[in-house]
Amino acid sequence: MNSIFDSRILNLVIFFPLMVAGLVALLPKDEKGQIRAVTLAGMIGSFLTTVWAWGRFEVRSPVEFQLEYRMQWLSDVGISYHVGVDGLAVALVLLTGVLGPMVVLSSWTFVQERVKEFHIALLVLQTATFGAFCAIDTLLFFMFFEAVLIPMYLLIGVWGSEERQKAAMKFFLYTMVGSVLMLLALFAVYFLAAPAGARSFDYSTIYNGLMGASRELGAYLKANPGGDGAGLTPVALSLFRYGPYLFLAFAVAFAIKVPMFPLHTWLPDAHVQAPVAGSMVLAGVMLKLGTYGFWRFAVPFFPIAARQYQTLFATLAVIGIVYGALMSLAQRDIKKLIAYSSVSHLGYCMLGIFAFTAEGATGSAYQMLNHGVSTGALFLLFGMLYERRHARLMSDYGGIAKVMPVYAAFFLVVTFSSIAVPGTNGFVGEFLVLLGTFKSNLPMGFGVLATTAVILGAAYMLWMVQKVFFGQVTHQENLGLKDLGRREFVAALPFIVLILVMGLRPQPFLDVLNTSTERYIARAKYASGEGANDDAKVRVNVRQLPRVAVADAAVPAPAPTFRPVVSPDMVRPARPFQLQPLQPNLQQVRP
Amino acid sequence: MRAIDWALLSTFLPLATALLLVLVSPLRRTGLGAGLVSVVSAVATFVGAVMVLASRFGAEAGVVHRTIQWLPHSALGGVAHGRGAIELGVHVDGISATMLVVVTFVALCVQVFSIGYMAEEPKADFGRYFTWQSLFLFAMNSLVIAPNLLQLFLGWELVGLVSYLLIGYWWKKPSAARAALKAFWITKFADMGLLAGLIVLFLATGTFDWTVTTAAAGTVTLLLFVAVMGKSAQFPLHIWLPDAMEGPTPVSALLHAATMVAAGVFLVVRAFPLFEQAPNTLTVMAYVGSFTALFAAVVAVVQTDIKKVLAYSTCSQLGYMVCALGAGSQAAGFFHLTTHAFFKALLFLAAGSLIHGVHSNELSHMGGLLKKMKVTSGAFIIGSLALAGVPGLAGFFSKDLILEEVLHRGLWAPLGALLVAAFLTAFYMGRVMWVALLGEPSEHAKHAHESGPSMLAPLIGLSVLAIGVGYFGGTLSGLYGEPVHFHLSAIGIVATVLGLSGLGISYWMFGAPQGGKAILEAFAPVGRLARSGAVNGFFAWSYRSVMTRVAAAIGWFDRYVIDGLINGIAYGTLEAGSRLRVIQTGRVQDYVYVVVAAMLLIGLYGAFWGR
Repeated sequence: MNSIFDSRILNLVIFFPLMVAGLVALLPKDEKGQIRAVTLAGMIGSFLTTVWAWGRFEVRSPVEFQLEYRMQWLSDVGISYHVGVDGLAVALVLLTGVLGPMVVLSSWTFVQERVKEFHIALLVLQTATFGAFCAIDTLLFFMFFEAVLIPMYLLIGVWGSEERQKAAMKFFLYTMVGSVLMLLALFAVYFLAAPAGARSFDYSTIYNGLMGASRELGAYLKANPGGDGAGLTPVALSLFRYGPYLFLAFAVAFAIKVPMFPLHTWLPDAHVQAPVAGSMVLAGVMLKLGTYGFWRFAVPFFPIAARQYQTLFATLAVIGIVYGALMSLAQRDIKKLIAYSSVSHLGYCMLGIFAFTAEGATGSAYQMLNHGVSTGALFLLFGMLYERRHARLMSDYGGIAKVMPVYAAFFLVVTFSSIAVPGTNGFVGEFLVLLGTFKSNLPMGFGVLATTAVILGAAYMLWMVQKVFFGQVTHQENLGLKDLGRREFVAALPFIVLILVMGLRPQPFLDVLNTSTERYIARAKYASGEGANDDAKVRVNVRQLPRVAVADAAVPAPAPTFRPVVSPDMVRPARPFQLQPLQPNLQQVRP
Repeated sequence: MRAIDWALLSTFLPLATALLLVLVSPLRRTGLGAGLVSVVSAVATFVGAVMVLASRFGAEAGVVHRTIQWLPHSALGGVAHGRGAIELGVHVDGISATMLVVVTFVALCVQVFSIGYMAEEPKADFGRYFTWQSLFLFAMNSLVIAPNLLQLFLGWELVGLVSYLLIGYWWKKPSAARAALKAFWITKFADMGLLAGLIVLFLATGTFDWTVTTAAAGTVTLLLFVAVMGKSAQFPLHIWLPDAMEGPTPVSALLHAATMVAAGVFLVVRAFPLFEQAPNTLTVMAYVGSFTALFAAVVAVVQTDIKKVLAYSTCSQLGYMVCALGAGSQAAGFFHLTTHAFFKALLFLAAGSLIHGVHSNELSHMGGLLKKMKVTSGAFIIGSLALAGVPGLAGFFSKDLILEEVLHRGLWAPLGALLVAAFLTAFYMGRVMWVALLGEPSEHAKHAHESGPSMLAPLIGLSVLAIGVGYFGGTLSGLYGEPVHFHLSAIGIVATVLGLSGLGISYWMFGAPQGGKAILEAFAPVGRLARSGAVNGFFAWSYRSVMTRVAAAIGWFDRYVIDGLINGIAYGTLEAGSRLRVIQTGRVQDYVYVVVAAMLLIGLYGAFWGR
């Protein structure tokens, strides 16, 4: 059952890449081979830690956040270093871990300048991403969420293509706008959720605090719809007045990250200019921070507001699906096409999240993983072609299957995954999302429109494949292209395996995801008046710090045995160095 | 071994073969080696299928239904919904056993034929071809033994995928690549109906079984029928099938004549309990099917490419099957599927052998081949006569059964269409026979020679079935329902007379030396219309004008409106910054003025309004 390591695994997962980054920083700048090898080894190690975490995650456990670790940190304002994973988070952590080594392999020869800095940025990015997925403390989440931006900004801005500066700036500013809104909303819920003295940024404090108010408000709105809120307790009243704005503040922050229509315009620019590694991480992992944010924070904190805006967000999601697909159809630039296909695919994720049905949520979570795998693979594969030809337009290619048969076969499999052919992972996610959408309270049209995008997906992807791979070789330069080398083969193969494994045997993944979909649905439907409010199910139970009330405690007087070595008048009376018992004293909570 | 083991063997052995050929590339690159491995596996698969069928006559003849969980019920909203979990597995009954034998036998014949037909291909391509052949066999068999509609859908999409790969086998030819893409798009478009139908079914009943009774059957079956129209090439979604002839001829025989296109009909046969609950859908099917049968037969008359004639003929015959099912007869539709699979595969393979002999698809490049290629010509004639419904051959029995059922239902318009189509079928097949096999040999045909034994053996095997399978209608239909008994009816005699007169007229026009050119002239406008591809043009136009224009318009919108707005904000911020910068002059005096003015204003405010 519980191993002594369990509570430390996530620390290892999060900070292992950072330690490797420290090691890389010590290497001499010109030893490019060494830097790459150490980074690759570090990424593989990091991947193994995520596998360990995945393995220790118990599907049948009633505990929501497993592998939990909590430590006092900035206790005065109620922030603690608190990490743990539920089903979705551990799956996304694993996805991030899987992508790591591939990212390094993808840039093995592509990046030749500032090699050391590049690899340090990759490793730091990895740490920040892991941190964001693992954080239970909301402010800790926010810090990691923001920390992701910096290495990504550098990856695009330093190692990108011609217009990298502009794209990086756009990416950074766009995301920052959302983050500011989220930070403000975070402060608001901090003050709302608990009375003075008990305030904390911890997910449990905020959620459990808002839960009661949501229930009160839900009952109130059911009793007198259109009421002005008279007679509500202060917290419920604030939620009644400001809940929608707070929800929107969170939602906009995450919608930019996803990105949802119409906040998506940074994505094509960023993808086109980013180096292969940047595109892979951006599409593979970073976009999921947005959907994850909706899933973890925006919807559960404000279930009533979320339901009020359900139609709006579902509409935007469907527009995103169709719009992204049509945009892909209009592209001549392959990287842009893949970028817009991301908008379309992430639309499915959002539709699943806002369908508020178990099928939709499961499908959405699965689609997050799928998109990471298939779009990550598309960028990886196209990066290989780009490295050979330095051209992004479809018209620069044609008949590539003749000169690079193995490469073409790989690309075709990934294409099939992207257009959700049964037997590949894409089908499972898309099918479940559609099922959930048809089943949800949304009008039928949402499901129908989302279904039509299935054919659009086939249209733009296969059209691109035809232009690039089939027919005769039309450009002299393309005749001499070499097929995949051993390194490239190794980098691409795991994606193919994942696509097939996740497509043919989805159950193990779905079992893990299911632990969090059930809670997500219960939370999204909380206080809706449909059925009983299952408080025991939705309440967040985490380990509590020992209630020494550090924030209130005065600085203790120096212990009598303590004698400063130096003469007392030379230094100010110092606060004694006191070791506080941390983990062993934590009270375990089992619901 | 029990029936289920044989069924599993004949499904997974082809998959294992395909994987072997994919993963062990040295074996694949040997070409002939890969082909032989594939053929051996196809033989074993066929034996497995025969054992499954044999078990239907044995002691444990009951329906075998065995499943495993694929998507857990927790992903589907828990147990609230029927059984909840989505399952995959095996379902063996008379229908799937018969279909399994049909599919594996035709596949075996096609693979053996391909060894000879594709011999001149580069070795690596040859290996690739057989890899896909094996993969197809897996996909098709998993569709056939599906225990529920979801697995049927999985197999359905997979066969579509392999069809895309095989049509585009010669992808260096732009026309082949385009045809593959078109086939995939059109069928994928239709498959949305299947997907939506499945979802509606699941939401209504909580299962994907075809045995359930539900009020939503009308919606579900109509949606399923859209998919059937795509896969089984019913008007107006038939347009991909003629283009699909860009693939190698054995592929056309297997996928686009005998098995894959019949998957649509098989879906209806399989889900017939559902369709029976929806009389309106059945009526739609009867009309769509009979119209397709007639329309495609008319178009087939004027084709000059031997494969295109056969392709339209396939459309037409699938129309017969759909119409039969629409008339409410599962047995007639499925029986015609069975007989058609054999004689149409035979026709395609024989046509392939002719093409191999003269190195051209054009009818005008053939002629006089009867003397040079005796066995092939004999096989082609047997196939043609079977298709034309000459008494005693397979097509006669199944076509007669269909006409009887349609008559029995009183569907007069469809009946008329089918009768005219029966005449036209005999006419266009007669035309092909007389032009290609008799007459003066053209330049190409002068050097024609008979094909090798690997190509002739499958022709002989299929010929035997094209002659004989018609006599087993009662036995086969007895496996899953009331056995139908053949008896010569009035409508059968009418159809036979029409068929024979079609053959006769075509001989008078094309076979006899003097020829009846006048009638040919009279048909010219129809020919022009058919060849102009009006339907095709409509789809191309709607794609080009609607889709691409909408996409372009949205592209403009994204670039200038949405992104423009964002860039506008950024520009505004910059602009405001540069304007405001003017205030920050850096001269101390200016700042002092501002400070003094501000103090003055605050003082005034405090003095007068601030109390």
